[in-house]
Amino acid sequence: MWVVSGKGGVGKSTVAAALALRSARAGRRTLVCEVNTQERISRFLEHPAAGPEITLLEENLWAVDVRPQEAMREYGLMVLRFEALYKTVFENRLARYFLRFIPSLQELVLLGKIMFHLQEKLPDGRWRFDTVVLDAPATGHAISFLSVPQVLVQTVPPGPLSREAQKMRDLLVDPAVTAAVLVALPEEMPVNEALELHAALTDRVHLRTHAAVLNQAIPERFTAADLEALAGCPELRDVAQAHHDRAALTVLAGTKLERNLHVPVVNVPRLFLPAFGREAIEQVMGHLEALVMGET
Amino acid sequence: MSTTALGPALARKRVLICVGSGGVGKTTVAATLALRAAVEGRSSLVCTIDPARRLANSLGLSALGNAETRVPASALEPLGVTPRATLHAMMLDMKQTWDDLITRVAPPDQRERILANRFYQSLSTALAGSQEYIAMEKVWELRRRGEYELVVLDTPPTAHALDFLDAPNRVLDFLDNEAAKWLLAPAMKAGKLGLSLFNKSGYVLRGLSKFTGTEMLQELSSFMLSLSGMNEGFRERARGVRALLEDASTGFVLVTSPHPERMDEAIHFNTLLKQHRMEVVALVVNRVHPMPTEAMWKDVATVAPGRRDKVEQTLRELKVLAEQDRQGIAQLQAACPGIPLIQVPRFSLDVHDITSLWRTGRFLLGDDTL
Repeated sequence: MWVVSGKGGVGKSTVAAALALRSARAGRRTLVCEVNTQERISRFLEHPAAGPEITLLEENLWAVDVRPQEAMREYGLMVLRFEALYKTVFENRLARYFLRFIPSLQELVLLGKIMFHLQEKLPDGRWRFDTVVLDAPATGHAISFLSVPQVLVQTVPPGPLSREAQKMRDLLVDPAVTAAVLVALPEEMPVNEALELHAALTDRVHLRTHAAVLNQAIPERFTAADLEALAGCPELRDVAQAHHDRAALTVLAGTKLERNLHVPVVNVPRLFLPAFGREAIEQVMGHLEALVMGET
Repeated sequence: MSTTALGPALARKRVLICVGSGGVGKTTVAATLALRAAVEGRSSLVCTIDPARRLANSLGLSALGNAETRVPASALEPLGVTPRATLHAMMLDMKQTWDDLITRVAPPDQRERILANRFYQSLSTALAGSQEYIAMEKVWELRRRGEYELVVLDTPPTAHALDFLDAPNRVLDFLDNEAAKWLLAPAMKAGKLGLSLFNKSGYVLRGLSKFTGTEMLQELSSFMLSLSGMNEGFRERARGVRALLEDASTGFVLVTSPHPERMDEAIHFNTLLKQHRMEVVALVVNRVHPMPTEAMWKDVATVAPGRRDKVEQTLRELKVLAEQDRQGIAQLQAACPGIPLIQVPRFSLDVHDITSLWRTGRFLLGDDTL
């Protein structure tokens, strides 16, 4: 399972979509999960929204938007086994009141559903999905979301809840099963957040970071001599200088990520397409080739 | 003299709340608004969530903490203006603010019990919107103290807009749940914690405990009982917070970037604010790519051939981005009719120092336009 996260607005969904599409193209049965959002990935890939049910988008690629109410229902049914019993319990006002107050229950069932599909098997014994790509929430929310099993194991008295939490935690911390892909932009705050996220995932969740993706990277174009020569046209010089500064920031951000995370940093260049859709995702996918194919 | 809707808002509103998705520059906009208000003569406080150390530094502070700190006049010197009122800044520490709140409203004999409870910590974060709630509660508190003529709140990156707007209602709902009260109270008073005693709902609770474990339900209900002592104080404040959001002296500034996804979220947020009868003062589109000018294209012709290609390519790329932004902004305006839309250009580097904040302010107030 790939867990994709980073600061808000850095292109997490784009990277998740590209990873999932590349994985599916490589012949792996791939499930891409969004968590209770206004579904972007199926839209990026120019398919109708998948909704809360696992939906086949194209060959080898399934998508789902994991939503609390549906996940709670599925989980409740799994535990209580009978629809009638589920209804009595979950549609009771008092019970719902309690459920809302059980710390992080919502996150637990959301994560639980994803983890369930991660372990699901086909009748012939193969995994139902070879790869699961989780388009996780942004930094702060991602840390609390992924820490839920760990926190519950510590706070909740022994019982069914803590047993479930324990199982999920074991999968999250298994470096052979789960790894994070952190996304950043070549700007100060997104890079700092990626470093914070890495530290929190390592120390608190014990989740391995596999790689960082530096999105919207700007390649170097103008030399110092170019800038000097443009002195006569101040407006153009400013344009060139801005480009030059952003290219320098890209180098700086890449170095900072590499030095602190000790993982490969993949640059995805900024795209200049009139619209953001499938074509953009396919271009991004090209740059993630090594990241996806290195893990066969 | 300002020409945008933010001018009158800065002059008259008591509270401005900057909302929007993560990564769109809410913190910068919030700091800039407080700065401009102070310069123009209203004592202001910016209450931020984002631990942007460079923002603190740009305000002449080594770091921002949970205490309100006055921005020294020396920090504003580079601007060449003398503020006519004071500017304060603080960074909200959520955990500390929750602890303060509990300390304030809990009966003295229950205080330690609540703060030490193992459910407490997760409670202050578990309830959806609890972070958003505590931020607004802080503003309500500041507003009540009345030390500042304007408080600008930079809100936490909200996963769901509804969490933010519904936060006071959820807290009230929790405290007002009659069902829980009559079921819990008699049993607790009798000192009988066994949930099996609730005959009427025994079946339900047995089902529920299959899900959570009996011990968990018992511990939780005993914790909730210890909270019930502070219901009245808590409820009064939650009502105050809700009233503050709808008050005519409170305005929302919706911040977005021209990215299509961010704008979809802004539209959604605007719809919800409207439904909740809260006033959106302005819609700020931050980091807009300016269209390369005619003059630039003309100048390109004079550049030596080798360099010309590089400059032309850069201008073409900028044009694509500017066109995308322009289209998106037109759609955004159409989807939010009647809301004043203000564009702030993408500066060549991140906005982190006081002169960049000032530049942002010139666009927010309409001294400069794109």
